[in-house]
Amino acid sequence: MKQFIISLCLVLSTTSAALAGTARTEVVANNLNFPWSVAELPEGGFLVTERSGQLVFVSQTGDKHHVEIDLPDLYATAQAGLFEVMLTPDFMTSRELVLSYSCGTEKANNTCVIRAKLSLQPPYSLLDTQNIFTALPKKEGAAHYGARMTWLPDDTLLIALGDGFVYREQAQKLDNHLGKIVRITRNGEVPEDNPFTHSKAPEIFSYGHRNVQGLIYDSERDAIWQHEHGPKGGDELNKIVKGGNYGWPIATFGIDYTGAKVSPFRELPGIKPPLYQWTPSLAPAGLALYEGDLLVTHLAGKRLQRLRLVDEQWQLEGEYLQDLNARLRAVYVAPSGRILVLTDSAEGQLLQVSFED
Amino acid sequence: MVRMFIAFLCAVIGATLVGTVIQTQFNLAELTALSVDIDMSTRMATILHDLLHFGPVFALILTPTLLIAFIVARVLSHLMPKFERAWFIIGGGVGLACAFSIVDSLAPMPTLIAANRTLLGFLLMSATGAFAGWIFDRLWHPQPQELAEELPQ
Repeated sequence: MKQFIISLCLVLSTTSAALAGTARTEVVANNLNFPWSVAELPEGGFLVTERSGQLVFVSQTGDKHHVEIDLPDLYATAQAGLFEVMLTPDFMTSRELVLSYSCGTEKANNTCVIRAKLSLQPPYSLLDTQNIFTALPKKEGAAHYGARMTWLPDDTLLIALGDGFVYREQAQKLDNHLGKIVRITRNGEVPEDNPFTHSKAPEIFSYGHRNVQGLIYDSERDAIWQHEHGPKGGDELNKIVKGGNYGWPIATFGIDYTGAKVSPFRELPGIKPPLYQWTPSLAPAGLALYEGDLLVTHLAGKRLQRLRLVDEQWQLEGEYLQDLNARLRAVYVAPSGRILVLTDSAEGQLLQVSFED
Repeated sequence: MVRMFIAFLCAVIGATLVGTVIQTQFNLAELTALSVDIDMSTRMATILHDLLHFGPVFALILTPTLLIAFIVARVLSHLMPKFERAWFIIGGGVGLACAFSIVDSLAPMPTLIAANRTLLGFLLMSATGAFAGWIFDRLWHPQPQELAEELPQ
């Protein structure tokens, strides 16, 4: 608490030099172990996931309590662990939320999603935990899980999934979940109007993805925006459409970490090209919608970017928070309008950001 | 000493060229298996790109690997001189296979070089180390029948 008060008193006056403005940050909570996502509760306070497997409740005054959570098949190492927490659209009445995490073992794991009920008041715990999705096949290694999620207006859930790094060609095959965005109901059922019907992966909504780390539904434009990591270069911002093929690994602006070409093609017929791409890579790892602009946080790029749609093209409007010199894991615009940013470290922070236009 | 240095340089360059072309073919084969058409000029341009960009990285892995492998091979050839050529070939191949495994265990990604994801790719890429061993010993200690003139006594 003392630490929080000191932090709050300091109110980091990080007025970042930017292309189109400055941003101010306030520390909401400190000492979060590789925080991955945050959800604002309607009764006040926040739920924060830590990649190592803890779900943390952060009160409005910055106090922290662990939320009791039972994930016996959680696999937490390297990029694997507890990922996104997201409230259901009817959380006010149902108290339900969804959580994505890596499940399984070193030799056989993938992304899982559970739905659970949050108890009514602190100290919080999760009740009635139920698995609603398991990405298949279970694969080896601890890389590229995707795991960002968003709700569509029909209350179906989009879940972004990664290619598992060494299984990149599987992103082009429609009989598995690697390198896909899938769509399910809140009960885990397959909606009837999903675009593909393969019996092993009828949940597929779009394919050809590498490692999706940003996914959001834009109700004003009725559009789904998404970004994903390229390898060395070629991070992409895409507009996701039902049944779309986004090219990985047959068309990409990036090359492999060794310098080798992943594909000689940047574009191919039938492949949806990115609307915006980052080369060299900044490793975008969070996506939010703010006053019609997209906010993107970057891990390697250690900055918050604001993109604006001008003449049907996304353009860089401003860059912020570079003087924090911190890897930024996620950005959210909470229902209260607060812009929340998570830094990515063993002593991660939950920050509240405000633009000073 | 100069002869040894030139032989080593040739071994690294030879293995780099062959290994790079092998890994490019594996990458392109994965794409053609996904029904992507790749014409010859695109294939050649990809090889050239990889020689310029992947080649230096592969040479960086090869150089210390072959240095250690050839020292070990030299020690073994002292013990069994009859098999000198074989020791260098085996040393280069096994050394590179070990190097790939060590790099993969240290690098954040499960497999650094994409061609090594399959057993066949791993064996062929490791075989470039064996090729380097052959080049080195062929140039450093050519056998009498490999020379137009006799070896100096």
